[in-house]
This record gives sequence, C-alpha cells and structure tokens, in this order.
Amino acid sequence: MKDFLTMLKRSPAAIIGISILLLWILIAIFGPSISPYTYTAMDMENQMTAPGQGGHLLGTDSLGRDVLTRIMYGSRTILTIALMTSLFSSIAGIIIGFSAGYFGGNIDTIFLRVMDIVMAIPPLVLSMVVLGILGDSSILSLTIIVSIAYTPATARVARGALLSCKGFEYVDAARIRGENHLYIMFVEILPNTIGPVLVEITARFAYSIMMIASLGFLGVGLQPPTPDWGMMVIENKSIIREAPWTVLYPSLAIASLVIAISLFSDFVNKVMVNDK
Amino acid sequence: MTNDFVLQIKNLSVSYRTLNDAVSAVRNINLNVGKKESLGIIGESGCGKSTLSYALMDYLPSNGSSTGEVLFRGENLLTKTQKEMMAFRGNRIAMVYQNPYSSLNPSLTIGYQLDEVTMFHRGYKAKKARKASVEALADLYIGDPAGVARRYPHQVSGGMQQRICIAMALLCRPDLIILDEPTTALDVTTEVVILDIIGELKEKYDMSMIYISHDIGVINKVSDRIAVMYRGEVVEVGDQRTIFKHPEHPYTRALINCMPRAGVVKEEVRLNTIPGYVARRSAADTGCPFVDRCEKRNADCEAKYGMIERASGHFAACDRAYAEDVPDRKRAALKIPKVGNGSAKEEILLEISDLYKYYGNQHRRVRALDGVSVSLEKNSVLGVVGESGCGKSTMGHTISGLMAPTKGKILFDGIDISISWKQRTPEVLRDIQLIFQNPGRSLNPSFTLEKIIGRPMKKLLGIQSREERKKRIVDILQKVDLGEEYLYRKATQLSGGEKQRAAVARAFSIAPDLIVCDEPTSALDVSVQASVLNLLGDLQNESGAAYIFISHDLNVINYISDYIMVMYLGRICEYGRKDEVVGPPYHPYTQALLSAVPDVDPSLIREPVRLEGSPPNPTRKITGCPFAGRCHRKIGPICDTTPPPKVQASDDHYIMCHLPLDQLGDAELDKPGNLTKTESLMKTVKA
Repeated sequence: MKDFLTMLKRSPAAIIGISILLLWILIAIFGPSISPYTYTAMDMENQMTAPGQGGHLLGTDSLGRDVLTRIMYGSRTILTIALMTSLFSSIAGIIIGFSAGYFGGNIDTIFLRVMDIVMAIPPLVLSMVVLGILGDSSILSLTIIVSIAYTPATARVARGALLSCKGFEYVDAARIRGENHLYIMFVEILPNTIGPVLVEITARFAYSIMMIASLGFLGVGLQPPTPDWGMMVIENKSIIREAPWTVLYPSLAIASLVIAISLFSDFVNKVMVNDK
Repeated sequence: MTNDFVLQIKNLSVSYRTLNDAVSAVRNINLNVGKKESLGIIGESGCGKSTLSYALMDYLPSNGSSTGEVLFRGENLLTKTQKEMMAFRGNRIAMVYQNPYSSLNPSLTIGYQLDEVTMFHRGYKAKKARKASVEALADLYIGDPAGVARRYPHQVSGGMQQRICIAMALLCRPDLIILDEPTTALDVTTEVVILDIIGELKEKYDMSMIYISHDIGVINKVSDRIAVMYRGEVVEVGDQRTIFKHPEHPYTRALINCMPRAGVVKEEVRLNTIPGYVARRSAADTGCPFVDRCEKRNADCEAKYGMIERASGHFAACDRAYAEDVPDRKRAALKIPKVGNGSAKEEILLEISDLYKYYGNQHRRVRALDGVSVSLEKNSVLGVVGESGCGKSTMGHTISGLMAPTKGKILFDGIDISISWKQRTPEVLRDIQLIFQNPGRSLNPSFTLEKIIGRPMKKLLGIQSREERKKRIVDILQKVDLGEEYLYRKATQLSGGEKQRAAVARAFSIAPDLIVCDEPTSALDVSVQASVLNLLGDLQNESGAAYIFISHDLNVINYISDYIMVMYLGRICEYGRKDEVVGPPYHPYTQALLSAVPDVDPSLIREPVRLEGSPPNPTRKITGCPFAGRCHRKIGPICDTTPPPKVQASDDHYIMCHLPLDQLGDAELDKPGNLTKTESLMKTVKA
C-alpha cells in the first residue's frame, strides 16, 4: 500500500485520472438527488437557453430539459452498465481463457478458432445487430450483449496470462500433490495473473463506456426518455448551430470519463505488471 | 604517465539510483592488472562483480553513475565520451558475457557477425575480414572454421557458441579481455575445454585478462591473482595460491571452505556455511561489508576498516580469519553411518527396471531414457550425475509422477507406479516428494509459507484443523532453520536460500519415504548451497527418507550420496557405491567428468581428460555404446556396433564398457610422486 501511494505521487496523470473518475462517481451517486429538476421535466419558458441562464447551469435542450440534470442521471446508467459489462466479460473471459490455456491441445485449438470468428465481427456491429433484432434495449440486455461482444478479447488476455504461469514448477508441485484442475487454475494460478487481469478489467471499463455511448448515438442503446449521453448527442444534432451546449457537454462527459479511466488503467498496468 | 599496468582502477565506486534510495553496487575499488596478468574476481551473486566489469567499459545502465578513475594504459576511460569509447570497446578491451546464446544475433550468420568486428575497427574489406574471422575460429580449435562461419548461431552447440564469442573478442587482439562468467551456463566437460583454450590463447597473444566467476575452482584454473569481492568491495587481493592457502579475511576463508570438493563426504565433514545472505547495501552504510554475517566480528569491525598489506602483494581488509572460532551455533556434526558398506542390506524401496521415456512422435523421437534399471535401498541416497540432456531430470520426473514412462516398470514399496500423477493413489503421492531446482518458481509467489507448507498436510495427511497444521509447520520451519516469524511471509519476500529451505520444509512436512531432489542447489550461491546440503543431509539422517539426488556437479553428488549413478544419453554408464565410482576402475566418461570438475584446491592438478564436441543427437538410434563418439579410450568399431556389456567390478559396482576391468583404471595416467593428501584419498586422475 505504501508503494502504491509512492507510485501515485510520481504519476500526476494517474492522480488526474483518479480524481476525474471519483468526481464522476460522486456525481452519479449524489447528483440526481441535489438537482432541482428531474430528467424529464420540461421548462417551457426556457427552451434552448444558454448555460447559466434561467437557473440552468449547462443550459437546456429544445424541449427545455436541463442538460446538467440529464448528464447527471446519464452518468448513473452508463457507469453501472460499463462496470457490469467489464466485470461480466472479464469473469467469462477468465473462465473460458483459463480452461483453454490450461487443458491445451484440441480444446485450445477450437477455442482459438471460435474466438477468431467472433473477433472478426467488430463488437459494435455485433451488438448493434443483436440489439436491433431483439428490439429490446433494457439495461439488462445491453449489459449481456456488450459483455458477450467483449468476452473473446478478455479470454485471450486471460489465456495469455495463464500460459505465462503454467510453466512454473509450483503448478507441477500442485499436480503431484493430487490437486484437481479447478484448484490449480483458480487457487494456484489465478492470484499470479491478477496484474494483467486487473489491467484488462479497467481497460474494458473504458471501452464499455465508449461502446454504450456509441450504441446510444446509433439509436440502439437505451431508449428515451432514459437519459443517455450518446443519445443526447444525436438527439440534439439538429440544433447544434443554435444550441451547441446540448451536444458539447454530453460529449465532454463521455470524453472525460473515458480518458480518466484510461489514465487509471495505465497506472494499474504500471503498478501491477511493469514494475513487478 | 606510463607504467607496466594495462589497467589501473582507482577508487572506483558505482551507485544506482532506485525508487527508494541510492544503492552502492561497487565502492572504492583499487585494483591493477599488469601486462599478461590474469586477475580473477570472485564473489557471490549480488557482490558487484558484473557491475564492476560494466563500469570498466563505461557501460552502465542509465540510473548508474560512477566516480573514481579507470586508467587504461594511462588514459582515464571514465572521462571519455561515448564516441571515443567506441575505439576501446571491442577493439582494445573486449568482453565475453555469460550467455552466448543472447550475445549472438540469431538472424545473422556467425561469419557476418565476426567480420563486422574487423570491418568496423580495422577497416578491413569483406574478404580480408572473413580470412581473419576464419583464422580466429581456428584459433579456438573449431573444426571446419569456414563452414561454421556460414552457419547461424542456433546451428551450433552452446559450448561452440561461447567459443565463437571468445573468437570475436580476440579478433582485434585486445590488450585486455574481460570474461564475465563465460562458462557458468555450460556443462563441466565443455567448460574445461574452454578454460584450457582461454589459458593457451592468453599466452599466445600476450593479453591481460579479468576473469569473473562465482566458482573458486574455475578461478583457480585461469587466474594468477585473485580479488575477492563482497557487497561491492574488494575484501582481499593476492596471489592465487596465497588466497587459497592462507586467506586473511573471514569471508574468503568461509567461501573457500563452503565449497564441496573432491574427497569431502557427508560421513566425515560437515560443510562450512555462512549464515544469512548478501544484503543490499545502501550508500550510507560504512565499515566492513561482511560484518552482519561474520562469526568473528568484534567491537573494532565497525570503526577500523581498510585494506592493509599483509604480505608482499597480499592485501586484505581483515585478518581475523583464524581468530578463535565461535563454537557452531547450530547442531554439531551428526555421525552419519555409512550405508551399504559391508553392513546388512537394507530393504529395497524403489526398483526401476528397463525404464524408457521417449518424447516427440515417430518421426522425431528423443530418447530421454533408454533402458534404465536401478534400485534404491531404504534410507540411502542415490546420486544421479551427468551432463545436461542425459535424462537425469526425466528420470526424476517419471519417478515423482509428473509424467508416465513410455515403457518399463517402477516399483515403489511393491506398488507399480509407472503411471502419472493422475492415476496415483494419495498414499503414493504422499510418500514421494519432489524438490525442484528453482525455488523461486516452485513456491507459489502469491501464498504465505503457512499455505505453501500447510496445503500438502491438509491434502495428503488430511489434517483439517488449522491450529494443528500451524503447530506442525512451525516445527518443520524450525528444523530448516527458519523461525516462526516466517509463517506469514510470502515466497517473494524470502532470499534464494530461504526459499529452498521452505521448499525442503514442504517436502518433509508430510514425512515422505522418498524425496527426489532435482538439482536443488544449482540455482543457489555456494555459501547457501552448503547450508542446504547440510540441511538435506541432517534431515535425511533424522527422518530415514531415501533421496534420489540429481545434480550435474560431481562434488555435490559425491558429498551427499551413498550410491552414484553416472548417466549419459539416457543410459547408465556406471553405478556403484560412491567411493567405488569416484575411484578406479571407472568408465571413461566418469573419468572425463572427474577430471573436468574444477577443483577448489589449486595444488591439485589433474591430468586432463578432454571430451570434444557435445553429446550426439538424441533422436538417433544408437546401436553401440552411446559414449563411443566422444570416448578417449575407444577401442574400435565394436564400440559403435555392439552395446557394451555390464562389467561387474564388485557386488554393487558395475561399468558398461567393452574394455576389460583391469584396463579401466588410471594406470596409464598415473605418475608416481607429488600426491596430495586429498588425492591419495580420492585416487583420482592426477599428474
């Protein structure tokens, strides 16, 4: 822990990243409850007001909804979905990747080919098509589908991490002690791959945010009136000349969150993998 | 200013900046290397030997900085720019590194890499450069040098690669050559050939040499003068014989005494050990670097410290090497009874008959074990020795169950265990334990010692209560000289020796009958090796477990074993009680191994039996004697065509050779006179 703090002191980028991330988490938790508006409340007198006027800090959109409030509500859904997605895809990836790498042989070959096929389809296209067919864009289905789309990538990372540990003699020692495969994989090997796995989870977190925002932008993400950052951008596309803030602030929100998580992920990588 | 010295090092210090503090890796070194002189630098790992050599070439990593002077023929190298240094590096000062495989570029031919040197430094044209390269290769006794020059590094053996590296270093006829552990990664039989060549070429080209090694035997062979380094400082410098015969610094003496050597066996001698380990030294520490591990320290050690000339040319930082020995704080030497020497035979614990293990497929089959039959008595130690690739580890792994043999039977206490771990019963898994070569890799770095040692107890002894396990773990930790405070340490927080002790503790924690030790000391420093060997000896004696002790080091094998089995290319060459194996009559391969082992005692000079080349391709089916291709006593075609018969030398001792028993001695190598005490004890090959 002491090392962690010394390392943190030496990397200003990580401090910035973690601060922005913490700020967004605080906004997601407390923001909606301190806002005087709800995300659907339309202020008929103040439509497309500029930031700071009429009691709207970041202005309003064409329907007179408060942009700041919508961003704050949007941060809740996006953080929740992204966190769940990165966790689910990592857990699924670890299970699949570990089994493939551990047993090797034909299992591994089949795994690699299947993953190649899934990876050949861009995750965004895959999610779009599936969500489009399902016609259901609830938080749950969004989470499941994005998790599936990301699983091949995390499985590959997990497989690589396992292979780098599999050759160590502590694995042999466990074998000739009669341990079963699950014990060797998840008790002996998993703790030693925690570095790359954590880096993958954090990086996946940033990707998920972009993915969910993109899906919202393309109209297959969360459906109105749920506030979604990507959707806010596309909704207000037509009034970008008259009210640029309606597009600018959601975009900034997406960018700042993704950059913050990436900086944090770089730091995790530095602490957990490179300096070990 | 001119003088006779090729290299003068004055007050050289090197420190590295790290995250937390500055580490002083080398401090206040004063050394001179004269013309044609060979200086050996010896010390354990982490003593700054390699850092010193890099500092001499002004080639430190970016966080290193050096102060002092390095005068090469009067010119201070440390004040040169990197561009100016190019005229020195590889040209007037050459360096050979430990691992030839990583110092040669795998994608360029050997000839190209050699030519480059003279083309760059001497401005030779391609043809002339190649001629020089081929000559240099021929100097190193490489057969078909022109052909070798056209090959790629991976197409030649490790020993050959190192010879090529040396040839490269010699191309520009440097004034000084620095060899940094050039033979550590090689087999003894290859090592001894390279050492011979180095000695010869040094004479031929009037070079000065700095030879860095952790092995006193090797240093003795090639150096005129020896500098002993400890934690970044030179603690003693002097003539090779003086250092060996009468070391003044306690560290030097301890280091020499902890090497197992010819004639030292566990029944008679307990190896000397140095407690503790080489700790990192911060720039603030002063005084004697050895003080924390020294058994002869007194109140003066901190304050009075400095190099003093003890005799002409012999400098040491301390003279307390012979101060009254502090009585051994540990257990006194146990009287270890000799096994199998006339006394009643013990019961057979393990019986291996006609064991085969093949790797690969039908097209490319590697015969790792090619018909091995041996048996092991209860409570005895079988030493398995041979060069790398002879199948000794494969044998250990089939016995411990990491893999099943291809053919053949292993009977353990009457149970057939020629199956892998998947099918073995928990009782067999409990009774056979394996200690691995590298403890850093065999202990899970994420676990505490409690978990590492406790898990086999829970799994194989079925002790469910954590308290009960803990009690036993503390017991066993104390037996391996690790205290209770180690219970919650993780493997990564231990030093190399402590890790191996923990691994030994894990193996012993469930009271097995047989422990397979696969090179348990070869990844350790000599001082630590000694303590682990002592520990293994004590525990074996106490517990009555049998060992199969695998090592490439004949001195270690000779120290710990009761029986020795010499392997070559998956077959047994010789088997017998240890005194029978290391004495005549012996198999020609055993003879070569014995004479190749660099001995600690410089007065012991042996008639060299040199093996050329490397073991043949193990994928080829051998019809005759596997050793025939390299044998110095080959009789004729019979060796290549007919498998050698088993010649029984005594009840326990047999040799696989076509030569009759009376010709397998060292009669023709024996020359009367100048037998040292050790030699007459050993009756080995000598001058």
